[in-house]
Amino acid sequence: MAEQSLSGLTEQQAKEFHEQFKVTYTAFVGLAALAHLFVIAANPWW
Amino acid sequence: MSDVAKPKNPEDDWKIWLVVNPATWLMPILLATLAIAIAVHWVVFAIGLGWHA
Repeated sequence: MAEQSLSGLTEQQAKEFHEQFKVTYTAFVGLAALAHLFVIAANPWW
Repeated sequence: MSDVAKPKNPEDDWKIWLVVNPATWLMPILLATLAIAIAVHWVVFAIGLGWHA
Protein backbone atom coordinates (compact mmCIF):
# COMPACT_ATOMS: atom_id res chain seq x y z
CA MET A 1 0.00 0.00 0.00
CA ALA A 2 1.74 3.17 -1.24
CA GLU A 3 1.81 6.30 0.97
CA GLN A 4 -1.78 7.62 0.62
CA SER A 5 -3.05 10.99 1.84
CA LEU A 6 -5.92 11.28 4.31
CA SER A 7 -8.20 12.55 1.54
CA GLY A 8 -6.99 10.01 -0.99
CA LEU A 9 -5.85 12.71 -3.40
CA THR A 10 -2.34 12.57 -4.80
CA GLU A 11 -0.05 15.59 -4.49
CA GLN A 12 -0.56 16.35 -8.18
CA GLN A 13 -4.38 16.16 -7.89
CA ALA A 14 -4.37 18.38 -4.81
CA LYS A 15 -2.22 21.01 -6.52
CA GLU A 16 -4.33 20.83 -9.69
CA PHE A 17 -7.59 21.26 -7.74
CA HIS A 18 -6.13 24.08 -5.66
CA GLU A 19 -5.25 26.05 -8.80
CA GLN A 20 -8.91 26.01 -9.88
CA PHE A 21 -10.08 26.71 -6.33
CA LYS A 22 -7.90 29.84 -6.22
CA VAL A 23 -9.30 31.07 -9.55
CA THR A 24 -12.92 30.62 -8.47
CA TYR A 25 -12.29 32.11 -5.03
CA THR A 26 -10.54 35.15 -6.54
CA ALA A 27 -13.52 35.70 -8.86
CA PHE A 28 -15.87 35.45 -5.85
CA VAL A 29 -13.88 38.04 -3.88
CA GLY A 30 -13.65 40.30 -6.93
CA LEU A 31 -17.39 40.23 -7.52
CA ALA A 32 -18.10 40.82 -3.82
CA ALA A 33 -15.72 43.78 -3.79
CA LEU A 34 -17.42 45.20 -6.89
CA ALA A 35 -20.84 44.79 -5.28
CA HIS A 36 -19.62 46.59 -2.17
CA LEU A 37 -18.26 49.45 -4.31
CA PHE A 38 -21.69 49.79 -5.98
CA VAL A 39 -23.37 49.96 -2.56
CA ILE A 40 -20.83 52.52 -1.36
CA ALA A 41 -21.41 54.59 -4.50
CA ALA A 42 -25.19 54.38 -4.24
CA ASN A 43 -25.78 54.34 -0.52
CA PRO A 44 -22.81 54.40 1.91
CA TRP A 45 -23.62 52.75 5.20
CA TRP A 46 -21.62 55.18 7.35
CA MET B 1 3.57 15.08 17.20
CA SER B 2 6.02 17.92 17.80
CA ASP B 3 8.32 16.83 14.94
CA VAL B 4 5.60 17.56 12.33
CA ALA B 5 6.83 20.39 10.07
CA LYS B 6 4.87 23.61 10.43
CA PRO B 7 3.16 24.63 7.14
CA LYS B 8 4.34 27.74 5.37
CA ASN B 9 1.34 29.56 3.88
CA PRO B 10 0.17 30.43 1.26
CA GLU B 11 2.63 28.19 -0.56
CA ASP B 12 1.45 25.12 1.40
CA ASP B 13 -2.26 25.97 1.15
CA TRP B 14 -2.80 23.23 -1.47
CA LYS B 15 -2.01 20.59 1.16
CA ILE B 16 -5.49 21.09 2.66
CA TRP B 17 -6.73 18.88 -0.20
CA LEU B 18 -4.51 16.06 1.01
CA VAL B 19 -6.71 16.08 4.14
CA VAL B 20 -10.11 17.33 2.86
CA ASN B 21 -11.39 15.54 -0.24
CA PRO B 22 -13.13 18.10 -2.49
CA ALA B 23 -15.18 15.34 -4.14
CA THR B 24 -16.89 15.02 -0.75
CA TRP B 25 -16.53 18.50 0.72
CA LEU B 26 -16.59 21.08 -2.13
CA MET B 27 -20.40 21.35 -2.18
CA PRO B 28 -20.69 21.57 1.63
CA ILE B 29 -18.03 24.32 1.56
CA LEU B 30 -19.92 26.24 -1.16
CA LEU B 31 -23.27 25.75 0.61
CA ALA B 32 -21.78 26.93 3.94
CA THR B 33 -20.47 30.03 2.14
CA LEU B 34 -23.93 30.64 0.67
CA ALA B 35 -25.52 30.23 4.11
CA ILE B 36 -23.12 32.80 5.58
CA ALA B 37 -23.81 35.23 2.71
CA ILE B 38 -27.59 34.87 3.23
CA ALA B 39 -27.17 35.37 6.98
CA VAL B 40 -25.09 38.52 6.49
CA HIS B 41 -27.61 39.97 4.00
CA TRP B 42 -30.44 39.10 6.39
CA VAL B 43 -28.79 41.00 9.25
CA VAL B 44 -27.89 43.98 7.06
CA PHE B 45 -31.49 44.29 5.89
CA ALA B 46 -32.82 43.60 9.39
CA ILE B 47 -30.85 46.49 10.89
CA GLY B 48 -32.33 48.80 8.31
CA LEU B 49 -29.45 49.13 5.85
CA GLY B 50 -31.60 47.78 3.02
CA TRP B 51 -32.35 49.40 -0.32
CA HIS B 52 -33.83 52.61 1.08
CA ALA B 53 -31.45 53.08 4.06
